[in-house]
This record gives sequence, C-alpha cells and structure tokens, in this order.
Amino acid sequence: MSTESVAGALKKARRGVGVAGPGRSPGARPAKKRKNSHARVLLLFALPSLILLVLLNLYPVIYAGLQSLRNGDLISAGDFVGFSNYINVVQTPEFWHSAWFTLVFTVTGVFGSWAVGLGLALFLRTRIPANGLFKVLLLLPWVVPVVVSATSWNWLVATPQSPLPILFDALGFGNVLFLADPVLAQVTVCVFKVWVSFPFMMMMMSSALASVDINVYEASKVDGASSWQTFTQITLPIISRSTYISWILMTIFCVNDFPTIFLLTGGGPVNATRSLVVLAYSTVFQNFQTGPGVAIAFIMTLVLVVIATMLYRQIRKVNIE
Amino acid sequence: MTSQSTGAAFTRRSFIGVAGGAAATALLAACSTGGGGGGGDTMKFWNMPWGGTEFNPLDKKITLAYEPKSGLPSAKYQAIQWANFTQTFSSAVASNTGPAVSSGGGTQAFQFANQGKIAYADDLLDSWKKDGIYDDFLPGLIDAMKTDEGYAAVPYNLDVRISWYNKSLMEQAGVESPKSWDEYMNVCAALKKIGVYGFGLGSGAGSFTGSHILAAFMINNGGGLFNADKKPDCVTPENIQAMEFILEIVKAGYSDPAAATYTSANVESQWKAKKFGFGWDGAGLPAGAVGDVAGDLVVGDPLTGPSGTKGGLYFPNNIMMYKNTPSQKGSEAFLTYYYKNMAPLWTKNTGIGLPPLKSIADTSEFKADVNKVKILADWQPILKTWAAPGGSGLFYNIANTVDGTAPMLDFTQSILGGKVDAKGALTKLQTSIEGLMK
Repeated sequence: MSTESVAGALKKARRGVGVAGPGRSPGARPAKKRKNSHARVLLLFALPSLILLVLLNLYPVIYAGLQSLRNGDLISAGDFVGFSNYINVVQTPEFWHSAWFTLVFTVTGVFGSWAVGLGLALFLRTRIPANGLFKVLLLLPWVVPVVVSATSWNWLVATPQSPLPILFDALGFGNVLFLADPVLAQVTVCVFKVWVSFPFMMMMMSSALASVDINVYEASKVDGASSWQTFTQITLPIISRSTYISWILMTIFCVNDFPTIFLLTGGGPVNATRSLVVLAYSTVFQNFQTGPGVAIAFIMTLVLVVIATMLYRQIRKVNIE
Repeated sequence: MTSQSTGAAFTRRSFIGVAGGAAATALLAACSTGGGGGGGDTMKFWNMPWGGTEFNPLDKKITLAYEPKSGLPSAKYQAIQWANFTQTFSSAVASNTGPAVSSGGGTQAFQFANQGKIAYADDLLDSWKKDGIYDDFLPGLIDAMKTDEGYAAVPYNLDVRISWYNKSLMEQAGVESPKSWDEYMNVCAALKKIGVYGFGLGSGAGSFTGSHILAAFMINNGGGLFNADKKPDCVTPENIQAMEFILEIVKAGYSDPAAATYTSANVESQWKAKKFGFGWDGAGLPAGAVGDVAGDLVVGDPLTGPSGTKGGLYFPNNIMMYKNTPSQKGSEAFLTYYYKNMAPLWTKNTGIGLPPLKSIADTSEFKADVNKVKILADWQPILKTWAAPGGSGLFYNIANTVDGTAPMLDFTQSILGGKVDAKGALTKLQTSIEGLMK
C-alpha cells in the first residue's frame, strides 16, 4: 500500500469506511439491532460459565434456602416448618449476643485494619531504607495461613507462662487472662483480626495513594495547607473510592470470618466471642440443627447485602462528585 | 494427637460425615455398581491410625496374614487417615463402595446402625462365646455396644478419662494420691501453697476433655446425664452436688483460671511447666508434649464420692461390620482371626489405646507400663459411658446432644469460670439438651 493510499484509508476510516470498501455506513444498520446481536454473541460465549455458576452457586443456595425452612438435622431433611426457624432464631438471646459481637468484631476489624493499613501505606511512601523489605515483612500476617497465626497467637497469650501475660505481669497488670476473661477475649480476637487484616488494607491504600498526582500536593504546599489539611482535604477524598471498596470487602471478610475466631477461642469463653458465623457453624455441626443454622447464615447474608449496597451507593456518589 | 484427646472429636466428626453420607445416599446408591465391602473373593478392612507410625504397617501385616477358609473372601487392608475420615466413610458407605469391616469414630457404628447400614454382631459374639473370645473382654465393654436392635460393634480400644499427678510436685507439697473428694480437696490446697494447680484440665477450642471430666464427676457421684429412658436428666441431687464440688475447687483457686479456654496443647504446656500438679486427662497424657515431666506422671486413684460411689467416663472405640459385604460369614471369620491375632498391636507398643482383651492386658509387655496396668485394674471396672446412670450402651442421641456439643461446652466453661451456681447451670444444660433432642 502506497503512502497516498494509506492516507486515503485513514481518511476513509475517519468517515467509517473500511479498507476493503465503502461497505455499510455506521448509520445504515439500526444501533439497537447491532447491540442485540452483539449481546447475543456475548451471551453465547458466557453461557458455559453461566451454567457452571448456576450449578455451583445457585443450586446450593436454593438447597440451603429450602433447608432453612425445614426442621431437619444432618441426617434427615425434616418437615417443612415455614419461617419458624427464622422466627425462633431471632428470639434467642444467643443470636443477639452473637449479632452484637459480630458488629463489634466487624467495626473493629474494618476500621482498625484500615487505620493501621493507611498509616503504614503513607509511611511507606516516604523514602525510608529497605522500603521493599518492609513491605514484604508487613504482608506476612496476611500471607501466613490463619491456622498458623492463630496457633502463634495462642502461644503468645493463652497461659500465664505465655510471653504477653508475663510482660503484662511485669508491667504491674497482674495475671491478665487474655482468652479466659470474656471481655479480654473479645478484645484479643478483635486485635488479632486487625493484625491479620491490615496488610490487605495497606496494599489497597498503597495502590490508591500511588494514583495520586504528586503535583496536587505541591500545589497545596504552595497554597500553605498544613499536613493535616492535606491529609483530610486531599488524600482522603482522592482515595475515597478505594477506601469504600476496601471497607465493603473487609466487612464481608469480617462478618464471614470463621477461622480467626474459632481457632483462637472456639467462640468462648461461654459464648463471649461467638460471632454469627461461629453460631451458625455450632448450630449445624455441633448441635446438628440444620434449619436454624442455615437460617442464621441467610440472615447474615441479608445484612451483608444491605451493608454492601449502602457502601456501593456511596462509591457511586463519589464517582459522580 | 493422642487417642484420648481425639476420642470425642472423632465422635463429632463421625456424625457429620454420616450426615453427609445420608444426604448423598440416594444419589450415590443409584450410581453404585455394587461390589462394596470388597467384592468377589476379597473383603475390605479399613482401620484408622490408632497409634504411632508403626501401627498401620503392623496392622496391615496381621490383616494380610489372614488365610480364609475355602469359599470365604480374603482381607484387603486400607489405612484411613483421621483427616476427613467421616466424609471418607460416609460417602463410601452411601455409594456401596465402603468396607466390609472397619474401625472409625467412637459412635460411628451407632450412627450407621441408625441408617440401617450395620450388620449387627450378635451372631459373631455368640460364636465368640464358644471359642473364649467373648469371656476375654474386659468387664462391661460388650454391653456398651448393645442397642435395641443388637450389638452395633465389638469393642476395640479404650479411651478413658482418669486422674494424673506429678509425683515430684506431690512430694514437694507433702501429699499423696487422694482417694476421696475430701482428700482431693486437701491435695489441691497443699498444691496451691507451692503455686501449683490441683484441678488441671482444659475446655478451649477443639478440646472436649473439660466437659468429659465434669460428666465424669457427676458419674463419680452416682449421677450422669441420661436416665434409663435415654432422656436427659441433668438436674439431679447427685449432679448438683458434683458441680458444687467443682465450683468450690474453682472458687478456691485450685483450678487454673484460664482452663476454660485451654486447648489440649495448652494443657500439656501447663503440665510441662509444672503448673499442674494434679489433673484429669486421657491415658496418653505422658506421650503428649509434656517434656521431661512425662517420667513424673503417675495415674491417680479413682475418687470415692461423698455417698461412697466411684465412677468416671470412658469411650469404647470399636470395630463394626457392614451389611454391604461380599460375605457376612467372611466378615465374622476375619474378625475372629483378627481378635485372636491383634495382640502385637499392644505388646509391641504401637501407641494404640488400651486393649479390650484381658489376655493382652496380661502379657508381660503390657504389664511393663505400670500406669496402663493401673488404669485397667483400678479405673476400667468403674468407668461408664455417656449413657450413665440410666444405662451403659451408647445410643444415637449422645452424639448430637452432649458429646462435644455447644451446650455442653458452654456449661463446662461456665462452671470453670466459677460465676454460676450448680443448679442454674445444670438447669440450663437440661433445657439445651432437651432443645437439641426435639
């Protein structure tokens, strides 16, 4: 193709004419029809995945939903009891205690890990030696399997001979029962969750901060903004979209977090750290009451959907602004 | 993992696995081509890793040495790991590809019996009455296998809950092994003076020993959780008295205040750190991670309660036969051979739990372990199952109401926390168990 013909082709292309010939102009075919045909092709390609998704996700969900309407156990399906499992479950004090602890655990887990993660992300933006090494080391709590970290934390706090109780005793706090005292057990589990989760938040915030144009900070400096003003008026609004996404994800992680709690305290002492997911587990797999257990899980899901929707709307609002 | 600390967990998991199997039964059975239990001229024997690494190779050797009579199937050996074993059993049994004979979780036979999958051992036990094996069982073991329909299994190895003490610490405290509740209280007081706990146990994540010990004290006092109708009967004077005794121990500071949340590993570390001078655990405690203290650990004496009764809790692990077998006579013939030849599993110290047969307990090799001898001599005759005081045979509802269930764990943690009254805690437990039985 000669230089002249290339230039001509580009001209044609700008007018919507292909190299092979004039063909049909963009306006010749109704846009809607073209869109429909395109959608059909996409749907065809997606069909195998959709079928798999339905088989792998929808069927168990429907099956579980039906289980929650029956009074069966793990062996027999039981009789249809309507919504009585849901009604009975929400009338028990155990459910509301678990709901309350789930709320505390989630709020602490989300905002605690976010605050620590953001702080470290900001710190790692500064020019410190061995920055990369720090990043890798700080990721360890997230990378290490929870079974390992829970065992480590148990070793750290469980008995009076563990390192932390010895330290607290030396500091004059006496024999601190990190796992045996109900309130302290709750605090310990929440702190453990923050420790496990902050690297995830650090990564999310680091990537959000990396997208902030350095010139914005230069400009704010010229305008005389203080560090706090820069943080609250520039940094936070700019990373708000990532923040909301990380909050949504961490909320889901926290509400559904079974191993962190179960491996460290088993939900004890005396229900103190029994979150809704642990309650659902013990109802189904320790007490063999499938219906109420699945009902608890569905209630959890419903609440999660509401929270996620609210936060998602916040993201859309941020996008519009 | 000691058999003592896992006994209850097996029970829980076995139930879950059976449940999964039940759910899959219809589908898998429809897909099955038969041939379960071995098919043709072989039958499958599945056994668990009951001891150390040397257990299964020796067990396999014993199994493969079986030479069946003409027309009966030979045996094929398969070691089944504890990890996900319930799923392994339940899916295999549901799809008719399971074993003809197996061991497994402590209440597994009763769960499968409830599903109609078990071949009852009545005929086998009748035949054993003739050849002497029946009379060779330690007292009370076979009764624990009895259901209304027949014997669901035959006893295999025993998981017991007993007292242990550190003889060096006891000497340091100037006390000897207690024989009654009053003496025990004095021992606890003496141990406290040297900064050691006298009521050592744990009831934390994954540890059911604490709940076993509380039930053991109830049985010790003539009580227990089920009546003769197999219904929960927790709020009895015997149980209240037993729990008031435990609460007294807790409030006096003889129990580790963190015990309610101790895992098995935490308990072992407390023995190792010489913080537990007297405590309650399984027969395998010295084999756990207790370090140098292992040599100082001695089995205590059964305590006599205020009303003069003795007792405790044990879990009779067992071997069961399945209906899905190439030959029921073949299953029975193999088990007869196995029980006549399984002694090396104990005499060669493979780490398996306590033996069910007197002839094994009488061997010089077994008698070399004085602690085990004492357990069989002093404890085994007085130990009972969860079914006490109403009965001795295990039954279906034990698994889903008391054995490692949330109400039982909550009850134990609340008693070990010391902030409840005995009657209130037992009443709550009664209500919870009744709720689970609905």
